Amino acid sequence: MIEVRQLTKRFGHKTVLAGLDLHAPPGSLVALLGQNGSGKTTLLRILSGLLKPGSGQVLLQGTPLNETSQSERQNWGVVLHQPLLYEHLSATENLRFYADLYGLSQANQRIAVLLEQVGLERAANSLVRTYSRGMKQRLALARALLPKPQLLLLDEPYSGLDQESSLALNQLLQEELALGHTVLMTTHELGYALQVATRFDLLARGRIAASQPANQLSLDGLQAWYQQTLESLQANKGGAA
Amino acid sequence: MKTWLKALRALIWKDLLHEWRSREMLTAMLAFAVLVLFVFNYAMALNPKARAEIAPGIIWVVLIFAGSLGLNRSFTAEQDQGCFDGLLLAAPDLSLIYLAKAISNFLFMLALAVFIVPLYSLLYNQSLFLPGLFLVLALGSWGYSAVGTLIASMTVQTRLRDLLLPVLLFPLLIPLLMAVVKASTAILSGLALSEVQVWLNLVIVYDIIFSTAAYLVFEYVIKE
Repeated sequence: MIEVRQLTKRFGHKTVLAGLDLHAPPGSLVALLGQNGSGKTTLLRILSGLLKPGSGQVLLQGTPLNETSQSERQNWGVVLHQPLLYEHLSATENLRFYADLYGLSQANQRIAVLLEQVGLERAANSLVRTYSRGMKQRLALARALLPKPQLLLLDEPYSGLDQESSLALNQLLQEELALGHTVLMTTHELGYALQVATRFDLLARGRIAASQPANQLSLDGLQAWYQQTLESLQANKGGAA
Repeated sequence: MKTWLKALRALIWKDLLHEWRSREMLTAMLAFAVLVLFVFNYAMALNPKARAEIAPGIIWVVLIFAGSLGLNRSFTAEQDQGCFDGLLLAAPDLSLIYLAKAISNFLFMLALAVFIVPLYSLLYNQSLFLPGLFLVLALGSWGYSAVGTLIASMTVQTRLRDLLLPVLLFPLLIPLLMAVVKASTAILSGLALSEVQVWLNLVIVYDIIFSTAAYLVFEYVIKE
């Protein structure tokens, strides 16, 4: 579960998050939409503990973010813009390394299953530096899923993935949701996100400007809602100016 | 404890394997060491007495400056592909990252020492194969790695890291350098270990204090 109340973050004079509220119950997948620079990545980095919040309250799995222990943080799966992988190590070696940090038992079995799920079993022993962008992204997903996390924070997970891999990712995400795990992901891929999301939140001007439940929403309807909300925000901004 | 040790072993093994395959750090360190040893060799070709007297100075100059090349690389390699974020997310204890890096850097310093001692002996016709000297090299290398790893973890987050690392690191190394050069000089002069005990004690105390302090503050240093 993710609970964010009145979260703010400033970089110098620039306010990126201005009193953001967000709630993602267990078993839900919240897709965070927004234009470039709207603060989606900043929010994810704060939630993953890599960036300190300015003010406000963040509860992850019921625990305040600043009180979470490192062992609790190990129970979160995070995918960022960069894959967090060592280029001179193979896929298996990278996952083995992270499995040792997580202290996983039966790591070899878990690694084999994950590599198969992300379709990298044939390239398992190739060095990551020989991988394409999409293959690195798939391996990054395997890395994030390694500790069987109850909370997944994904920053543009479809980035670099082909259609087949994107559908495979959605299959994995549906399995996570069926287990009652919580997922928050940022994306610009409305079509793929619509297949798995339970709610869409639009981030603008440092806040959740609008929310839309995903059930019974068509892709056209979602695109229209997204576009109209952005235009309405622009118009309000113009009017205010 | 078992998980902690497993994670420590994984972190060190990853550093060694990565370096074995990339050869980014040791290549630069060894090339610098060879260059400095050659330059000093030709500069003092006609003065064997002077060469013998300044041997400890040359050895430690090579170790410290070549080591700083390695320290810089040890963390910039982690920043490629965002791997440092991966460590912060996955490590069971953030101070473990420091300990593993310090041990890896120490092993690279030892590899450098093992390389330059025979090369120096060959070029300068002066044997450095003395157990006491190896002890000083090991203790000094650990102190250097312990402090250098902490400072490198701070400077790597800045754009001026290449400049900042030596500016911040070298003043902190003064007590260590003073002790190891004095101890090395005494050992090369043929004095017994007991006669350089005071300098060895200083190095050991420096190692313990700075290793402990760096281990304790590392978590606060690397967080935003």
